[in-house]
Parts: sequence; structure tokens; C-alpha cells
Amino acid sequence: MMMPEPIQARFANALLAPERPLPPGFVTWNGSDPSVRFDVYRNNVVVSLTAALADGFPVTRALVGEPFFAAMARCFVVEHLPESPILTDYGDALPDFIAAFPPAHGLAYLPDLARLERARVKAYHAADARALTAEDLAPHLADPQRLPATRLVFHPSSTLLVSEHAIVSLWAAHQGQGRIEDVELHRAESALVLRDGDEVQVLPLALAIARFLAALAAGTPLGEAAEIATATAPDFDLVQALALLIHHGGITAWKPSGELAA
Amino acid sequence: MTQSRAIQTTTAAALALALGTALTLGNTAVAGEGAAKEKCFGIALKGKNDCAAGPGTSCAGSSKVDYQGNAWKYVPAGTCEQTASPTSPTGQGQLAAFKAM
Amino acid sequence: MTTIAPPAAAVGIGLKAQHVREVIDLKPTLDFFEVHAENYMGAGGPALRHLTRIRERFPLSIHGVGLSIGGSAPLDRAHLDRLATLLQRFEPCWFSEHLAWSSHGGAFYNDLLPLPYNTATLARVCDHIDEVQERLGRRLLLENPSTYVEFVASTMDEGGFLAEVATRTGCGLLLDLNNAYISAVNHGRDPWDSIAALPAAAVGEFHLAGFAEDRDGAGDRLLIDTHGAPVAEAVWDLYRRTLRHLGPRPTLIERDQAIPPLAILVAEAECARSALVDAAAWLEAA
Repeated sequence: MMMPEPIQARFANALLAPERPLPPGFVTWNGSDPSVRFDVYRNNVVVSLTAALADGFPVTRALVGEPFFAAMARCFVVEHLPESPILTDYGDALPDFIAAFPPAHGLAYLPDLARLERARVKAYHAADARALTAEDLAPHLADPQRLPATRLVFHPSSTLLVSEHAIVSLWAAHQGQGRIEDVELHRAESALVLRDGDEVQVLPLALAIARFLAALAAGTPLGEAAEIATATAPDFDLVQALALLIHHGGITAWKPSGELAA
Repeated sequence: MTQSRAIQTTTAAALALALGTALTLGNTAVAGEGAAKEKCFGIALKGKNDCAAGPGTSCAGSSKVDYQGNAWKYVPAGTCEQTASPTSPTGQGQLAAFKAM
Repeated sequence: MTTIAPPAAAVGIGLKAQHVREVIDLKPTLDFFEVHAENYMGAGGPALRHLTRIRERFPLSIHGVGLSIGGSAPLDRAHLDRLATLLQRFEPCWFSEHLAWSSHGGAFYNDLLPLPYNTATLARVCDHIDEVQERLGRRLLLENPSTYVEFVASTMDEGGFLAEVATRTGCGLLLDLNNAYISAVNHGRDPWDSIAALPAAAVGEFHLAGFAEDRDGAGDRLLIDTHGAPVAEAVWDLYRRTLRHLGPRPTLIERDQAIPPLAILVAEAECARSALVDAAAWLEAA
């Protein structure tokens, strides 16, 4: 008896290889060429996965235009099929793919712009966690000697983006905030992406604040992180950095010295 | 040791001052720095699984797209053309070359 | 959370993200909503909170599109665990999946792909359904697929295959009349043959949707299950005939592409309700 494994393997292999002849084993009621019908499946796979990518990377797609995006997505899909049936998880590999994709090399900002869009989707679906409020944090002012060694835990939705390109302005210009023509593409920009309540925020950051947050995210205590940031830029605004985190619900745990992250 | 101790003490005071100020800042003071927001929140971020089929037998899936060699025939032609230097830094030349194919 | 039992002749629509706000605010005249399980498997966030609010007002049907029940590989245990968590949280009235495969060799193809119907695939599908029902602790409704090719290796027809799966596993069936019509046209058969083969007691839900039309290599009609158009008249006819044969069942209007305003989908669901009411009256008179 013919076992189904080889049939399914042949079917799967043929889905992404339209240039190869269809394997045997198919039949049509009217004797027509089964490869014409098989193309429905080939289309479904590529078109549905391209649509999923287009949904998650709308500004990336707007920048390059629909025909380029669709063709690039076609190449990506062939090399990177989803590893799970949850399509919101699909697309992690697209920014690196774009960076290595020769036809997109002229758009140096595109991989980081795609990273920003991916961070937004991940933020939307990230775990819920109660953020610490100003009231929660106020008691720590009573014991300032413990502040320098304090470590913070960020909200699970947060991603820090540090780019050599103006990805935040470019993204914002596609949301009706500023003109695309006015974006200085070569200006380095950074952002914190996180979910604040039900809204995903893209918070532009000065480079020194981005360095501060990166150090904190890596487990560096507050005092040392502040010194790293000041070394980056003497005008590092510690108040602004802390206020941004607190008021956008970015901190979920505040661990004074001696209490290391579990 | 003495020096690092001195730095830490200064930092403790500076941190306390900064944290104290940050805690008293209203939400409006923070929001004022220009968070960028999406126009139609949420829809673009939604789950993407459905059970719709694609558009028939004759589009993307049934022809091979190759970006190796000379087979590539697409040019980035979206809003990137509105930017100050559409293909910088590596290439107006590159855009022209791809357009030529 | 209370479990709300829908009326016997219930109508619903697939819940789309663009309608969520309106559904929460306006509470349309529908009996239930159906969602795709895989869209609610994130760790947290607004999507799950919105679904919780909708579940407080409406019964839910959860429809999986990624379990690959017809696949030759063992079921994805992690995915089954995620489904169990989701069903526990939302307590839907029904859980359904497809007679199809979508994963192979660790890759997910995001399409409902066909399998041959023979004793070997029958045994495997039944094993998979046993495993699903055991893990989830509830009955699964298995949906008939739209198919575009058939296999030399098939020895059973689809209706007979589904009937045998239902008998062996005790699972229910989700009869998608659009799929039944599409597959019948695509394979030169009478759609009634596969419907008449189904055990009436097993059928627990109907799906209705729209298709697109293409041509195969011989120039014959090839229908594509796009979920991108209103329900076709031929499918409404098949639905009405099926209602008189099987009796009323909860019925869902599916639309996944070219999604119209909520009111259009509600109106289409109300058409289904009229058919359900007519069929119930006809059956009572008969």
C-alpha cells in the first residue's frame, strides 16, 4: 500500500518550486493538467504569507511599493517558512533578510525600519504585566543610598531600537506626522517601543537616553547606567529618562541592591 | 576605592533628585516630547491567521522569482521616492541599474 | 464566566479586528461569534482583552486553522497545549478544525492542504482526533475542506471518509456548504452525494462563505474558496436543501477578504436565520 508520507513530502516540496514538474499521484475528473489546479495551492501559500507580512510591515511596504514588496516577500517566504501556525510570530527574520537582499541595498534604512515595525507587532501581543506607578516608586526616595545599585525590569512589551538612520521620523511621516520629504535620512535615531495600556507607543529617544535604557535592560544598575549615558553625552537628561519610563508604564520591577533579578 | 566611593555618593544624591523630579512630572509633561502614533491603532497589529484562499491559479505562487543574477526586475518604487535621497548612501547608480533591467 | 447556550437556530459571523469596537459598543443581533484560534495565542495584550469583553456578551465558537490534523507527522503538542489554554479561558460553545494538513517538516504552509482518502489516512486522522479530544477534554467538530486536486491513492470519497471518522472517534462535523459545493464542482460531482453520506446526528455547525471562479487546464470551472464574496445563490440553495434534510444547526457567515461593514455581514447572517426558521417550520409541518 502506498503510504501517505511520501505523498505529503512530495506535495510540500512542489509547493514552493513552481519551476519543477508536478510529482505523480494526482488525478483530475476531466483529465485536465493537475499542475494548473496545483497552482491554486502554490498561490495560496505565497499570497497568504505575503499578505501576513504586508500586514505586519505596512511602512516597509509603502516605502518600496507593492510590486517590489510582493516580489521580495516571495523570495523571503521560500527561504523562511513560518515555524509555527501563529502568524503574528512570523516575520522576525525579515529585517535581516532585507539587510542581505541586494535589490534593497540602496535603502540603507529599510532593515531598521522593518525592525521598528516588527517591535510594534510584538509589543501588541506581549504578555501583560502591571507597571509600577509614581506612587509605587515614591517610597524608594526615602533610601537614596540604595538607588545606585538598583536594577530595573522593563515591561515585556518593550524593545529598544538604536539606528544610524532616521527610522522614527520616517515611520512617523507615514502616520501623517511630518513630511517624508523633510526626513533627514542620515540622522541617527533611537526609540523605545512599548505597549502603554492598550496602545503601542513609539517613543523617540535622545542617544544618551537610549544608551541608558540599553544598559538598564542589560541588567546594569542605575548608577552605572547613568554614568555610561553621561559618558555618551554630557547633556544626558536623567530626569527625562526616568520620567519617560515611569509615565509610559515601562517599569515592572524595581530591585534595590542585593535583590537580583530572578 | 575612595574615588569610586565618592562617585557613588554623588550619584546616589543625583539619582534621588532626578527620581524625585521624574515622579512629580505630570503625564502631559512627558507626552509632550512627541510620541509617534499609528493612525488606525490595532488593526495593523491584529492576528493574521484566517482561512481564505488566494486569488486563483495565475499569480505569485506559480512563477519563480529569482533575485540572483539578472532575473530581478523590480525597483523600490513607493514612498521611498519622496525621500531626499531615494537610494542613498550606496546608490543612485544602483537604482538606475535595476531600472534598466 | 457564564456559559451562554445559543438558540438551536443560531446565526453568527466570523469576528474581524476591524469590527471589534462596533461589536462591543453596538451588540448586533447575532447569536455567536467565531474566531480563529491562532489569532489569540499571543502572551497578552488588547486582542485577548477585547475577546474577553465580547465573550461576556456572546457565545463563542473557536475555529482552529493550524493543527494539521490530516498531516503525516505527529500533532504539535505545544500547539495542542496552547489550544487547551485558550479553550479553558474562553469556554467556547464549539471548537472546530479542518480535515487538512498545513505543516510538514517543521514548516507551516498557512493553507489547508488536501490528503488522500484511504484506510491509512483514515487511521491516522482518527488517531489525531482521539488525541485532540482527549487533550482538550471535549468534542471536536471536523470541517470538510475545499479541494482543487484529487489523489490516485484515494480509495474512499470524502463524505464516506468523514462519516467513518465521526463514527470511529465520536467527533462532530462542521459542514461547510461552500466547501462542499466548491469541491463538487471542482471534481465533477453532485454536492449532494457527500452531504447525504454524513451521519445527521454528527453535524453540529454549518459554514457559509463566498468563492471566486477560475478555469482549469481543460477550461472547466475551477472554484476557489476565497471567503472574499457574498454567499453564492447555488450555495444558499444547497444550504436550504440541507436544512430540510438534516434540520437546523448553528450557522456561520465567514468573510476573511474584502471585508464589508459589519451591517452587511449581519444582514447576510439574518438571511441564514430566515432559512433556518423556514426549515424548522417545514420540518414541523412535514
